[in-house]
Amino acid sequence: MSDHITEESNFSETKEKEKEKEKQKEQDEAEDEELRKLLLSDVQNLPSTPPSAVESNFAIYFALDFMKPRHDQYVYRHANGLCVIGLAPSHVAFKDEGGITAIDFNVGKSDRSGVKVTGKRKKNAQHFESNTALCKVSTKNDSYIVRCCVKGSLLEVNQQLIKQPELLNASIGKDTLLL
Amino acid sequence: MVRQDGYQFDSFSLEVSIPPLILQNEASLWSYMQSKYGSEPWFREKIHTGCVSIKDALKFSLINPLEKLLDCKSSLCPFRIRLTYTHTKASEGVAKCSDNGGSCKRRKTGESDSIGEGTLSSSVEDESFDFSKLFPKSENEPCNFSYNCSRTPFYFGGRYLKYSRNVSQTRWIIDDERMGEASVEEIIGIKVLQACGGDNYKFHAAGREDIDVRMLGPGRPFILEVQNTRLVPTEQFANDIEKMINKEENKLVRVNNLKLVGSDGWNLMREGEGEKQKQYAALVWTSRPLKDEDFQQVSSLKDLKVAQRTPIRVLHRRSPLEREKIIHWMKMETVAGSSQYFLLHLCTQAGTYIKEFVHGDLGRTHPSIGSILGCRAEILQLDVTDIKMECFLT
Repeated sequence: MSDHITEESNFSETKEKEKEKEKQKEQDEAEDEELRKLLLSDVQNLPSTPPSAVESNFAIYFALDFMKPRHDQYVYRHANGLCVIGLAPSHVAFKDEGGITAIDFNVGKSDRSGVKVTGKRKKNAQHFESNTALCKVSTKNDSYIVRCCVKGSLLEVNQQLIKQPELLNASIGKDTLLL
Repeated sequence: MVRQDGYQFDSFSLEVSIPPLILQNEASLWSYMQSKYGSEPWFREKIHTGCVSIKDALKFSLINPLEKLLDCKSSLCPFRIRLTYTHTKASEGVAKCSDNGGSCKRRKTGESDSIGEGTLSSSVEDESFDFSKLFPKSENEPCNFSYNCSRTPFYFGGRYLKYSRNVSQTRWIIDDERMGEASVEEIIGIKVLQACGGDNYKFHAAGREDIDVRMLGPGRPFILEVQNTRLVPTEQFANDIEKMINKEENKLVRVNNLKLVGSDGWNLMREGEGEKQKQYAALVWTSRPLKDEDFQQVSSLKDLKVAQRTPIRVLHRRSPLEREKIIHWMKMETVAGSSQYFLLHLCTQAGTYIKEFVHGDLGRTHPSIGSILGCRAEILQLDVTDIKMECFLT
């Protein structure tokens, strides 16, 4: 007799648990729906080409004919004062046949690629004037000195360019970073 | 004065501070007695049964009348009443103690007496110093007396959600101008502070998000510390405050599961902060239309290792380092019928910079979504959808 009763109560217990699980699942699904609605709330008028990260976060400057004709460089200046220096697409080096073939950071008194800046206070960062040489880019027949064009302290250089100078020939290619 | 300030309490804890001069006199008397009667048996017996120090005697005599006056019992509790006795004559012993190798590390100007008490009590323990040399001189001036009362801080724990892309997590003011229209800490802190009559608050959160990033899902755990509350907060109080904050018209911030927490709240929040995973949803644009293979490729990457150099946007205040982070999984879904916009869901290790993972930060984060798909990628908006931590979930 008692077995029958326990069986029944077990049965109703599992039914209860199932109901609870269903409820929980519904609740979770409802929450997910709400979340999705929120996530997609601003997708009404999306531009066909949004501004790039550089355009949104930096002020873009160009230094044209810097110290020598056709030596065109760009400076991306962030609101926090850091600058990214690079060769503008109109730089004379890109006009040479084959484009840029090598980059050498060992100019002036030290190898710029060997600089090790550490810590929040940026210890060991070298002070540069606007005419200090950053690096030398070489093409098949020529080489050009790239200068700093702003005054500041050098934080890092783009090491990738040493091994893969052809990156500069593509549309992306930053050169160095300054404080 | 206790009533004047509007303190609500049902018990109090008494602290008494007496001038170093008295301690010094007590100590010199004691060492004198020790040297004179040290060998006597009755003296040694007295030491064993225990002698009451001047400070304790004073406390005992004060507690009963105070209990009657305030109509409640004294016990170890958050509400503290502090009675400070000071004397204009600084103690001679203080100078001698500090020379005697006493470590007086905190030399606060204008607080010489309170330091004096500290060094003296530590010197009294150091039996090598012979106090009997300093003879108590009879004093004619009475002590100065001052009192104040305060409460030890209360802690509220919970989770917050941020619906606005113009609200920072903490107060952010540059050159006297506020950035953003409000801050999460102020929205929550000011309400709580006013409701329980505290002096000030401190907001501690488990991690943070940018001002233009929304915090959705279950929310981010936080602890709000409130100092010197006049009222005693209860569970009901916490519930009421939570409802009040969530009823706000502009719906910038929401609070869930607000309740009083003890010291275990800290441990829950800080435990494994660096390992906890976070989940995000980002609206991403790619420079070329995407196909099914691209979606498959992204979904197939599990526990992807990413090397992130300190992003340029924070490089001015953080060390230049390369940090390896893990992207546990990713999932992409199309959006608004476009082939170049999609919603990227991802789950990452704590400390990963999501924006830089999408656009690559000029090559300083590698790999990035752009490098994986072989095109340019930009992030338009970011939302935090889950903080996988155990605390404050109910």
